[in-house]
Amino acid sequence: MTKSPNRLLGTIFGAVYILVGLLGFTVTNGVGFFATEGGLLLGLFEVNVFHNVAHIIIGAALFLAGISNRAAARTINSVVGFAYLVLGFAGLLLVGSAFNILALNAADNVLHFASAAVLLAVGLGADKRATGVSA
Amino acid sequence: MSVITRTWIAFAAIGIGLIHVALVIGSPLALALPLGILGAIEFGWGVYAFTRDDVPTPRVAMVVAITPLVVWGLLVAGASTFEIATLATVLDVVPWGVAAIFQLFVAGTLARHFRRMSADTGTVRPAPSAGRYLTGLMVGALAVSALVTPALAATEAGIYAQPHGEHDGSFTPQRDVPVLHDEQFTIPGHVDH
Repeated sequence: MTKSPNRLLGTIFGAVYILVGLLGFTVTNGVGFFATEGGLLLGLFEVNVFHNVAHIIIGAALFLAGISNRAAARTINSVVGFAYLVLGFAGLLLVGSAFNILALNAADNVLHFASAAVLLAVGLGADKRATGVSA
Repeated sequence: MSVITRTWIAFAAIGIGLIHVALVIGSPLALALPLGILGAIEFGWGVYAFTRDDVPTPRVAMVVAITPLVVWGLLVAGASTFEIATLATVLDVVPWGVAAIFQLFVAGTLARHFRRMSADTGTVRPAPSAGRYLTGLMVGALAVSALVTPALAATEAGIYAQPHGEHDGSFTPQRDVPVLHDEQFTIPGHVDH
């Protein structure tokens, strides 16, 4: 695993997202599943129950792919990275609207864009045959 | 060229592309059109560079990296020489200057790459470890985002962008906030001519 950037990143990001998903439940007591106004995780990132579940599912996918093999990690990193990129742009339009079923705020959008950039860069750029950085 | 340096070049190209596209807003059409096309090409080239095992079209990339820098210099010189205020306002030093830093980095790194290739002794550089690669990638991403964000904020599009979460109609763009220049520069005892 330590020889593949995709596996290493997937495992680390996966574990962090699972932890973030679990910690999210500490601030969503009394918050509805699809509530547009959620609790603030770390006083910054707004989450609701649906957002927490999404973090745990995404984290599990990244983590499982990371500990399995290079091809799976590369695919999942790219797919999740692209999904986060789309969500980042969608979040810009959803904040403050009635369709904000993930209770997104500006800090969430920044985190989603940053995750997208790193996951896509590693997913697209690492573990290619000639780069040398491979499992 | 190491794989880490290549990711930095790709990130820099994406940053340059974003700045050039943002500069389209508020620029005269003759400048906006080439800026938009150039920005899209630079952004696309940066993304494409991530998917490749080597830097795509390196010699063309070096020329494309330097050209906007030269054009900026010529336009600034022209705007100040002929006192064209409208042109001078769109040549703000922050976005153009940050783009220039990235352009010099891309061109300089590629030039160094060519020099090394010409003096190639056939030795193969060892690939970085996964941890070192990820650290290098994160450093590059952080550096580019830290420079591109203020550059985008200083463009016309950034100045008129509404702060997130403040969609209540009360936002006044920074440039439209009234500034009391006359009061600030009133000299006591000064008599108008």
